[in-house]
Amino acid sequence: MFKLHQKPWIFFFTLFLAFLFIGSAVAIEPGNKRKGKYTYRKVYKACFERGAVESPKPSINPDAHTQAEWTEIFTQKDFDAFGCADEWAALPEEDVRDIYAYLHGHASDSPTPAKCK
Amino acid sequence: MKRSAFFFSVLLLLATGMHGLSAAAETAKTPEWFFHDIVDMEFVKQHVDVPMPENVMLIDARPTRSKYNKGHIPMAVNIPYTEFDKHVDKLPKDKTALLIFYCEGPQCKLSHKSARKAEALGYTNVKVFAGGFPRWMEEPGHYAAVPGAFVKKHMDKKSDMVLIDSRPKRSKYDKGHIPGAVSIPDMDFEKMLDQLPRDKETLLVFYCGGFKCRLSHKSAQKAMALGYKNVVVYAAGYPDWKSTYGDMDVADVGDKKSSTTLKAGKEEGSIDPATFERLVKENPERLHIVDVRDADEFAKGSLKTAVNIPVDKLEARIKELPPDKPVVFVCGTGARSGESYYMVKDLRPELKDVFYVEAEMTFAKDGSFKIVKAD
Repeated sequence: MFKLHQKPWIFFFTLFLAFLFIGSAVAIEPGNKRKGKYTYRKVYKACFERGAVESPKPSINPDAHTQAEWTEIFTQKDFDAFGCADEWAALPEEDVRDIYAYLHGHASDSPTPAKCK
Repeated sequence: MKRSAFFFSVLLLLATGMHGLSAAAETAKTPEWFFHDIVDMEFVKQHVDVPMPENVMLIDARPTRSKYNKGHIPMAVNIPYTEFDKHVDKLPKDKTALLIFYCEGPQCKLSHKSARKAEALGYTNVKVFAGGFPRWMEEPGHYAAVPGAFVKKHMDKKSDMVLIDSRPKRSKYDKGHIPGAVSIPDMDFEKMLDQLPRDKETLLVFYCGGFKCRLSHKSAQKAMALGYKNVVVYAAGYPDWKSTYGDMDVADVGDKKSSTTLKAGKEEGSIDPATFERLVKENPERLHIVDVRDADEFAKGSLKTAVNIPVDKLEARIKELPPDKPVVFVCGTGARSGESYYMVKDLRPELKDVFYVEAEMTFAKDGSFKIVKAD
């Protein structure tokens, strides 16, 4: 009897939590890391050409984070640290997944950590 | 206590909803970054026609490959915002011409920023269709236009696509058409409905004689009225196809000369490592091999016939790649060669026979090499 009375508010509370977190907690699927490297550099080249950054090379290298950190950044779509917000906003989901695959694949704790060479 | 918890949850839900509503109300206001001259769908419909009126240009400011090539407002010219400065020559010479920019809807800034750039160049009649491509497609009976690359891609993928030539059969289709196209002249459309697929979800691509030809547009509208849901028009049509892909049978593009010999690897764009090793041994002149490592790495050893174009310099030297010979990029791990492959796909898409070695490679001073492991 007690459980039956308890169910409605548990249901609504769970629903509320789901509304809050479901959108941001979906893990990102990695794309094509080779294409991702090209796209990542292309983003900064475009950003450089419009004078928003000092260098056409990306300021954050793949080995700047661990794989778990890259996953967290891309799952949360927390791209502020990358700068070039306009270019990032214009990237289609496929390109974002490609960039994620590149950065994650060469993270500091990956078998092949890399600078953006 | 239990009841209060229930009401608390409901209140929180309501509060979240109210917050969403107020946010929506805020976005309904004109954002500060909007261009000063915004036009609506009616305005665009008044000014977009086949052929386009003189002194009017509709400009898609979205990226080419990921957006424009997948579908755009018919008759729109593509000048991606990020490449605006490079393609200024595409704009009309007359600075009083009407320029209508659009991109991916009210949240997209690209068209607004491009419009400002156009104004800075001296154009005096610049507008932004803020609703953009999504708004265009919302209108019943509206369809997208696609470029030749879209058609070619679906051919190569052997998609479930029906390509329809809307031109007169005897005088046009019989003298040359896109391979695989069926002839349904617009004037005979109603008589030839049995040529259309039963499945209304099938991709129908209509084309005719280029940007001045209305036939494909008229047929596309008729197909949509019949309930077909996946209708597009290849507005540049047969003249564009002929100049881009020639008269050859599309199934043979890239196959006759090389791909039967250049076996592809597992990854997109890669060459089968064993095939590459064999060709380098038996007939290296058959390939244009580009080592994209840095000059100091190249100096320590590379393939005998390889030329060195470091990946950082490839964009500037991309015109050096030959159109008549398969190009294969190599490096130490596949990372820089893979990047080079995608750069060529992006910047010189007309080059069809381009590959990279997706493997770890080591090179000796005497020109020998080893493919250590495929990735």
